[in-house]
Amino acid sequence: MNFNPKILSFFCHWCCYAAADSAGVARYKYPPNNRVVRVMCTGRIDPLFIVEAFRAGADGVLVGG
Amino acid sequence: MGKDKVGKVMVLGGGIAGVQAALDLAELGFYVYLVEKKASIGGVMAQLDKTFPTNDCSI
Amino acid sequence: MEAGRSPNIEIITLAELKELSGKAGHFKAKLFIKPRYVDPQKCTACGLCTTYCPREVIDEYNEGLVYTKAARIDYPQAIPTTYYLDAKACLRMQHESCQLCANVCGPNAIVFDQLPEEREIEVGAVVLTLGFGRIPQEVLEKYGYGKYPDVMTSMEIERMTCASGPTEGEIIRPSDFTHPQRIAFLQCIGSRDVTCDNGYCSSVCCMYAMKEASVVKEHLPEAQIDLFFMDIRTQGKGFDEAFNRAVEKYGFGIIYARVPKIDQVGRKLALTYVTEDGKSHREFYDMVVLSVGLDAPKDAENLASILGIELNHYGFAQTRTSSPLETNVPGIFVAGAFQGPKDIPESVVQAQGVAARCSELLAEVRGEEAILKEFPPEDEELEALEPRVGVFVCHCGVNIASVVDVEDVTRYAANLPGVVHAEDVLYSCSQDALNDLVKKIKEHRLNRVVIAACSPRTHEPLFQETLKEAGLNPALIEMANIRDQCSWVHYFDPQAATAKAKDQVRMAVAKALRLKPLETQKVKVTPSALVIGGGAAGLQAALSIAEQGYEVHLVERERELGGNLRRVTGLLSGEDPQKILETLIKQVESHKRIRVYKETTVENISGYVGNFTSTLRSQAGSEIVNHGVVIIATGGKEHRPALWGLGEEDKILTQLDLEAELAGKASKIARARSIVMIQCVGSRGQDLKYCSKLCCQQAVKNALRLKKRYPKKDVYVLYGNMRTYGFSEDAYREAREAGVIFLRFTPQKRPELIKKGKSLYVKHYDALLGEDLLIPADVLVLSVGIAPGDNEELSKIIKAPLTSDGFFLEAHVKLMPVELAVDGVYVCGLAHGPKPLDETLAQARAAAAKATIPLAKGYVEVAPIVSRVDQQKCIGCGICADLCPYGAIQMIKVGKRKKAETITASCKGCGICASHCPVFAIEMGGFTDEAILAQIEAFGDFAEKESQEEAEKAA
Repeated sequence: MNFNPKILSFFCHWCCYAAADSAGVARYKYPPNNRVVRVMCTGRIDPLFIVEAFRAGADGVLVGG
Repeated sequence: MGKDKVGKVMVLGGGIAGVQAALDLAELGFYVYLVEKKASIGGVMAQLDKTFPTNDCSI
Repeated sequence: MEAGRSPNIEIITLAELKELSGKAGHFKAKLFIKPRYVDPQKCTACGLCTTYCPREVIDEYNEGLVYTKAARIDYPQAIPTTYYLDAKACLRMQHESCQLCANVCGPNAIVFDQLPEEREIEVGAVVLTLGFGRIPQEVLEKYGYGKYPDVMTSMEIERMTCASGPTEGEIIRPSDFTHPQRIAFLQCIGSRDVTCDNGYCSSVCCMYAMKEASVVKEHLPEAQIDLFFMDIRTQGKGFDEAFNRAVEKYGFGIIYARVPKIDQVGRKLALTYVTEDGKSHREFYDMVVLSVGLDAPKDAENLASILGIELNHYGFAQTRTSSPLETNVPGIFVAGAFQGPKDIPESVVQAQGVAARCSELLAEVRGEEAILKEFPPEDEELEALEPRVGVFVCHCGVNIASVVDVEDVTRYAANLPGVVHAEDVLYSCSQDALNDLVKKIKEHRLNRVVIAACSPRTHEPLFQETLKEAGLNPALIEMANIRDQCSWVHYFDPQAATAKAKDQVRMAVAKALRLKPLETQKVKVTPSALVIGGGAAGLQAALSIAEQGYEVHLVERERELGGNLRRVTGLLSGEDPQKILETLIKQVESHKRIRVYKETTVENISGYVGNFTSTLRSQAGSEIVNHGVVIIATGGKEHRPALWGLGEEDKILTQLDLEAELAGKASKIARARSIVMIQCVGSRGQDLKYCSKLCCQQAVKNALRLKKRYPKKDVYVLYGNMRTYGFSEDAYREAREAGVIFLRFTPQKRPELIKKGKSLYVKHYDALLGEDLLIPADVLVLSVGIAPGDNEELSKIIKAPLTSDGFFLEAHVKLMPVELAVDGVYVCGLAHGPKPLDETLAQARAAAAKATIPLAKGYVEVAPIVSRVDQQKCIGCGICADLCPYGAIQMIKVGKRKKAETITASCKGCGICASHCPVFAIEMGGFTDEAILAQIEAFGDFAEKESQEEAEKAA
């Protein structure tokens, strides 16, 4: 079976979110499986958010900061 | 002179020094003309891949 | 680069200065502006012109490694974000053929018949930040560049290592596109080389060579890299440590040799060189990288004649140690590499310093030309209604619409809960669309706005401003990034990209429903500064702030002002340091806005940016002062290690002791026949880890002074690496020519003191001879370096961290070199790190510029993303206060219990406090738990829907 994971990403505004933008500007390709929540700092991420993400049905959570 | 001073500054060169000077001058309450001979500002720093020591990208 | 949105900076590109008249305070400048052929008002930076332009030209931005087009932008993040046509290459302009770009340009931004323009502007001051020029091609040709394809410049490697560069980060040999296995970096190309008239040291190459070698090694882990040095000049703050770490981590070979000769043998490059032991070597490499130095800027001479400014003999701006930012023409200032080769932090420091210098000159007209934008009052009634969301989905020309089905996303958005209006827009950021947005907000009574377009990082401020124009609180917008993080990266799968766009829009709407208006807080500022330390840095900083129009409290621990500079008696430039100091002190003491407190210490500082309260203690008692900002200029001290018998013998001096001798009768040295100086005593791996930056210059200076006064005495300088960077390299050469003998030692074989009866000798291992030498030392002079002052206590009072070496740690090594992690506190001079006088004076002005910004504004504006503590819920555990990296949470007493409280002026909105609060008592403006959880919940809908579809398919 074709596994098509659903990933919820939390990106820091200052670094990883910026990096994801740059990837776009450089027209990189990556699989369209992630959805992004922007935060001002990954320090903002309460463990609760991660639990909730899995509860909401995420197959994976990516914290980028 | 006195009253006939002008609250504007011309910065010649839009590299990192010029951009930084312009930003600070604007914050200090002056109007700045940032004059660059190329089509965009940023100078050589915009060409650098990473900068030491944090290896931040330079843009 | 973060520039360009200020309404008070007007960027004029493709422009040159033609004429300047007038005087300091009021100049008239004539500019010549070349046509861009693209209307910046209309260009949306979609890039279609470049895609369709048939004319290829060499890409200068990428160092000629690839081709670009005649219609282009130099790099994707360029500012202004407007494309331009290269008239020299454009087929239309050269041959009247082709106008593809004009045909494909959606917003009709191409203007072929644009003409050059002349423009006259009036300014109070002129700042020259011309940067540096390139070393001429013929100098590089000496090293086979242009002849052997695998000889490359450092800038070419810089582009090659860049992941978005011409090779996508792959390191390849231009000759055969293979990965090089053995790479050599050659230093001092076009620097420290009198044969090409560049006798100076470019100051930055040693460090960047190490950085490039490290990056190359990351890309090619199996490559073996050798670096060839005459001296390793990594004198900046923290540089030695980084350099040594890199050498250890990547296993670089370090070879001390003059620049080798290069020739090609088969497919390899052969380097022939002589090492210090006199042996000749011939080694083969796959690639050679030339660490090219910084030349004087090309247009400097032309500009100098227009402006009447003096250049030094290398073509850089001529300045003095006492006034490193000033040209000989009043009102014309200089900063950055045009003042002399320097790295990014030094350039930033000078740029900030020059801003202070202009601000001093033009203090009385501050704010007269500045533009303030005004907005209508907020429609609070509308904001209080149930959320009425408007969704605007942007095509961005074809950037989004060619991949994502924009109409489909818009239809989908219209049916989401809370959405009362949805539409698609061709270019949502165009002025037309923004005007339309204001209209639509009023028409549909929207009180929440979702823009599905590009990145909030670049465009949210623009839309926030539009909301303000429409009478809405700027916090009521949310963006869904369906371009940078969707259409641009998922172009191979339009369907999945459309699905992702829908999800991001749904999540954005879910968040938008929970957005609340936030107030931008303005905190009033006490318009005065506290400067701690009355040495050169403190004096200059205090004077600058006072000249800019604000009150200063200057605190000095000692009975006299002047600090370490009091002991310096000569300068390489020939200026008299005591006269510089005297002038500074006189100006400070007579200034009506400066109050000097001598024999006083700072006992306590409380408060935050804009509102500090300090207790100053002197013998007379203590005094409390209020001030808006703090400058730390507490200096450093001469390091006096228990090495080499310092303090035990009369004949053993430090460089500063020697300066005192040279200024007086010199009784200790008059009878000596042989004087030996030892560098790095106590520094660089002895009891201080770091390099003190200025001792090499100081030793050369004092050696020259000795030789001038006593030509017959022998003067030896024993050193590890001679770090006479910048123009002080001239003095190093002059000293050698004057007969000063320089001998290099290695860290493994440092020289030793030998006593024979009453006579002193220095034992030195000479690599060329392969044996120990005994040098008579009638006087021994130790370059002892600079130790940090008593910074620890102050660091605790101010809650700002120190480096492991004990100096104050700046907020960002490159871009915020005088700011500390705590807002409203700045650092300069030796308290920041060892540095010579001219750098200290420039940095003092930089700190003064940064400190004056809040004073000049009169208020501190706090972005509304800050944290807020619900004191009903708070249990006073204090976890948040401990964790906050900015010292922005204080524990206060409310009734009988302790409660946390945010100091909004210091908060950066990172949210660490909120995520660690065990009782969820902390809310982040714009990023509430509720809003983020709603986004996660909305994300879940997607997961459910898809698995449903999957189940259906399976059935």
